[in-house]
Amino acid sequence: MEDNKKKVHFDKGEFWKKFLLPGAVILVLIFLFWGDNKPDISDPVPLKAEWYEPETARGEILVNTVMPGNCFICHSVQVPDPNVIQPQFAHATVKLEHGANNRCYNCHHIYDRDSLAGDGESRIPFATSIKLCARCHGLIVKDWQEGTHGLRQGGWLVKDGATPVNFTCTECHDPHSPKFKYEIAAPAPTWPDKTLRKTRHSDDDPKSAYLTESIQERF
Amino acid sequence: MSTEEKKNFEPTQGDQQEPVISRRYFLAGTACLSVATAVSLSPLLNAEEVPSGDEFIQKHYKELTVEDKKEIFARLEAQVKEKYGVAAKISDPQPIDDVEFAYVLNLGRCIGCRKCVYACMDENNQSRSPQKQYIRVLKMKQGTINLETSSHDYPEKEASSEDFFYMPVACQQCREPKCIEVCPVKATWKEKDGIVVVDYNWCIGCRYCEAACPYHARRFNFAKPQISAQELNPDMGYLSNRPRYMGVMEKCTFCLHKTRRGEYPACMEVCPTGSRQFGNLRDPESTVRKIIEQERVFVLKQEAGTLPKFYYTFAK
Repeated sequence: MEDNKKKVHFDKGEFWKKFLLPGAVILVLIFLFWGDNKPDISDPVPLKAEWYEPETARGEILVNTVMPGNCFICHSVQVPDPNVIQPQFAHATVKLEHGANNRCYNCHHIYDRDSLAGDGESRIPFATSIKLCARCHGLIVKDWQEGTHGLRQGGWLVKDGATPVNFTCTECHDPHSPKFKYEIAAPAPTWPDKTLRKTRHSDDDPKSAYLTESIQERF
Repeated sequence: MSTEEKKNFEPTQGDQQEPVISRRYFLAGTACLSVATAVSLSPLLNAEEVPSGDEFIQKHYKELTVEDKKEIFARLEAQVKEKYGVAAKISDPQPIDDVEFAYVLNLGRCIGCRKCVYACMDENNQSRSPQKQYIRVLKMKQGTINLETSSHDYPEKEASSEDFFYMPVACQQCREPKCIEVCPVKATWKEKDGIVVVDYNWCIGCRYCEAACPYHARRFNFAKPQISAQELNPDMGYLSNRPRYMGVMEKCTFCLHKTRRGEYPACMEVCPTGSRQFGNLRDPESTVRKIIEQERVFVLKQEAGTLPKFYYTFAK
């Protein structure tokens, strides 16, 4: 009987010493050091004004939308040439990139420099230049009137302080080169990896190419 | 009782023994356990954000009285002043009657320049490090809307490509938001004008809502949000862009501190292409209403049954 008692006592002590204690220590160590302990902190990217300021974000340079001065000082002596493509002298900086519309007098009134060309001999003042645009781009102008096209600022509610501002054609587009250049874009997110899947690991990564370039071939 | 049964019934010799763990092992085990407990709890010692007493007993936003709010806003403003040295104004504009906000985004125009993303960051005081952004711009090949193969981390030089279209995705402000259904503490709810908001002081950070959202529109603050004092926007709304805490959820609120005053959200005002339109869905004269009536609009993941108020269209 005495032998048996001694044996049991010895066994349980050994069990504790041999397995439980090291096991607990290992568990604690696993809890402490397992896993990705790298901090999420990345270097903050300071925001640049051209990324978020409505005034600068558009990034389009409007060349010669307004020419100051009296047009007749030159144009009274110059005989208008309806076929001129690249304007000279004071307007030499103007580069006309308006698609097939590549003649000055398609839009400018040939005898009246302070107006734009309407139907026939009629004149469209610069203040209502949208009527000129509507002669060709009627559908877009309709979209603009309905709100699908164009930038709006100010506010959705006409209230004290907030007045809706509806940008007109030439406030965004350069009439001589209306297609947007989109030169400034803002950088990709730098979120921590574990927050969101990465689709692009590097420019040469085949997986990135798979995700972004070769989609068309797979269908 | 037979002898056999008696034998089974009586306690055996082994069970009658004294406890087998000796004093020494008991003490050693206790010491080990307490060390392990202390080590595992030790991160609490350098916890950065321990709520004050007032914060701890603060009620849910919907139960706050006007006086409570005044007190809380003053406390928050003082905290901002202390931490950033910026005199912030915390407001709490209420939903306007007969207004339901909706957003329309013209994918035919969007060039993926990500200006909206950064305008949103600038307006809403998101953490700069680690970076938090409400809007993800998905770049997709023309001819398919496949979210699985879209890329949201394309480099900036790949913006405005003619072969792709770009789909900015933020909170869709659903009419049937799945995120508020799963919240166990009702820390997120839908306001009367349709904006889904979060009470940052009530959120327990369980992230159920993040998992429930089919659009990945919610962001969790795993780390303490960091933003420099120069970039802090002092015009703050209690339910929108006031500084967040570590361990709470945040999301797009349609810039409610702006839009409830009649202004436009920041992402819309900055858009260089005019792809974004925002307005009151219940006003028949509003821009969004006209577009929805006249263009072919669609919502993202219609099959999820969330009925978003964020519409996409492929207009010219």
